[in-house]
Amino acid sequence: MRLRRTARAPRATATSYPSATRRGFLRLVGSTATLATLAQLRALPAAAAARVEGAARFFNTTETEILRQVMERMVDTGLADAPRVRDTRAVASVDALCAGLDPRATDLLPLLLRAFEYGPILFDLRFSRFTRLSDAEQDESLAGWMKSRIGLRRTAFLAMRNLCFVGWYSQQETWPLIGYEGPLLGKEPPA
Amino acid sequence: MIEKLLEGGGDLVERADVCVIGSGAGGAVAAAELAAAGRSVVVLEQGPYWTNADFTQREDQMLPRLFEDAGMRQTADGAVTILQGRNVGGSTVHNLCYAFRTPGPIVDLWREEHGLDGFTREALEPSFARVEANLRVKPIREDEVSPLNRRIRTGAEKLGYSGFVTRHNRENCVKAGYCMLGCTYGAKQSMLVTYVPRAAAAGARIYADARAERIEAEGGGVRRVLGSVVDSAGRVHGSVEVRARVVVLAAGAVNSPDLWLRSGLANGSGQVGRNLHLHPSVTVAGVWDEPLHAYRGIPQSYYIDEFIDLERNPHSGYVLMPISGFPVLTALTLPGFGRRHFEQMRDYTGIGGLLVLLHDRSAGSVVPGSGVGRPEIRYALTPHDRRLLAEGVRHCAEVLFAAGARRIVAPTLPGPLVLERGDDLGALPSEIVAGEAPIASTHPQSTCRMGGDPRTSVVDAFGESHEVPGLFVADMSVFPTSLGAPPQITTAALADRSAQRILARWPELAG
Repeated sequence: MRLRRTARAPRATATSYPSATRRGFLRLVGSTATLATLAQLRALPAAAAARVEGAARFFNTTETEILRQVMERMVDTGLADAPRVRDTRAVASVDALCAGLDPRATDLLPLLLRAFEYGPILFDLRFSRFTRLSDAEQDESLAGWMKSRIGLRRTAFLAMRNLCFVGWYSQQETWPLIGYEGPLLGKEPPA
Repeated sequence: MIEKLLEGGGDLVERADVCVIGSGAGGAVAAAELAAAGRSVVVLEQGPYWTNADFTQREDQMLPRLFEDAGMRQTADGAVTILQGRNVGGSTVHNLCYAFRTPGPIVDLWREEHGLDGFTREALEPSFARVEANLRVKPIREDEVSPLNRRIRTGAEKLGYSGFVTRHNRENCVKAGYCMLGCTYGAKQSMLVTYVPRAAAAGARIYADARAERIEAEGGGVRRVLGSVVDSAGRVHGSVEVRARVVVLAAGAVNSPDLWLRSGLANGSGQVGRNLHLHPSVTVAGVWDEPLHAYRGIPQSYYIDEFIDLERNPHSGYVLMPISGFPVLTALTLPGFGRRHFEQMRDYTGIGGLLVLLHDRSAGSVVPGSGVGRPEIRYALTPHDRRLLAEGVRHCAEVLFAAGARRIVAPTLPGPLVLERGDDLGALPSEIVAGEAPIASTHPQSTCRMGGDPRTSVVDAFGESHEVPGLFVADMSVFPTSLGAPPQITTAALADRSAQRILARWPELAG
């Protein structure tokens, strides 16, 4: 028996934000690295389709530009006629994904992006941020993360890589590049 | 009635005979059986209510809609990704429809080593029969075996490995391959299209977006369930209160013990949240020269059981299962970045995978974490299980090559190891170590285990709490050990059995 159903305005959830501890960082990378284990060809995240519309909501302008440049290198095809990240909604897609998730799962992502931006200064002794490097230098910087002897740095690379792949390969412009025909909705199913 | 609480806004106050928490393979079955027998039932599902029309076949839209924490739930050390459904119908909406009964030796093991008197294959038969009829379980026809599964079978047969084509719960499958993203065609006989509507038709009130946060009990038993109306980002939009004589906890082996412990319910055995098994799995990708389109057709129809012998050893072993992925998931599997990675993605139509799924002895735990809905999951592989997983990876590679794969991509981090046909498989790791290989789990279990002794177990052979009158558990939490097989049918059958027990005991429970 239903007793009562009252209308009430939504309220913010009581959320405790973790500090930038090692464990918090692991959780963050774990989050996106989930995506890695989706390397297991299983699942991963995202946000409602409607949220892909519009300007950045999770990352600020600076972070969005770092993400775009990192993604350009992560998904570089080497093909002259292939779309670039900037031609697609890949970055907006990642932004929407993050905006739609529990903040406790994504709160360290901006920090991770800043780490990539200042990685060349911190780890490579270059006097330039990531977004000011050439394509080849950016690749070198990313390879430094991937091959680092510091496990946490490798994990961070994996997290960023996976986030980029989620954004990129969910764009239908990328599917012809790999031979994927796309969803069958509205088409005759194979059977 | 199925209601999306987020659409209405506000608070919910309900009263029922039974409150079921969770609507997956356990909760939906319990709700339908109880409602059909005339009990008033309220179901609280923290996830949204989607229908077949909402399944767009796009990874960016569907994976977040269907998975707990949007697919990002992890063990505390980040080593294992735990994938569980978070929607009406639970994990049955995204699972791949293997339909196995509880292996006989496991039934015997649970009865003999865990004191479950009367827990026999014969006693379970009626529940299996009902569940299989309702889920339309049937053998997969030969013409339904996909090209990837056929090749895997060929590889296994060349090597002399035991395997078979399985049963599944699909009806009029169109072989589109999008099972993991929700079935647009209504062919998958998930809880969403079977037991959930059956429960609703029998009068159960099913509420989506309703997260149970506390079960209150007094000396005489459970009294009410409190919670919140929540969205996918965890924002609270209202409160939930359900008064009920009986509570069926079916939120899964992570959320159920979390809720139990957060509620401060009796835990005299100390076993709530302990004994966590995961069926950890690791995938090896194979690349063929010709297009396979492995992502089309029934994803999993063949099953290699060469490396598990439950009659001889019910505690250990592993199975191999084909697996495929759409572009995002495939990209995540392949090594490197930039042009090197893209060169491999260009082989996308020729890629298919084989995973090793471990019948694990490793045991972890679930404890309340940083906040409501954020349980902490602790799990570490034993050295024995690490070696077995690595052995499974080698066998995956062996089978993939025998099946005609030109190269294989083994799961090592940060970049998987690539081996060409003819390469020495000795290059593969001798142990799968947490953090050095991506490990996934879709079958967390055993955190509220059944047993005859209240000192060493949480619930009895019917899922009823030893200590809290009126509280039942009806999900994979109750498995006394790792199951060693896909768990959908076992979970549903045990929930059916719990429901029959509640009905039989109703006068006493309602008193």
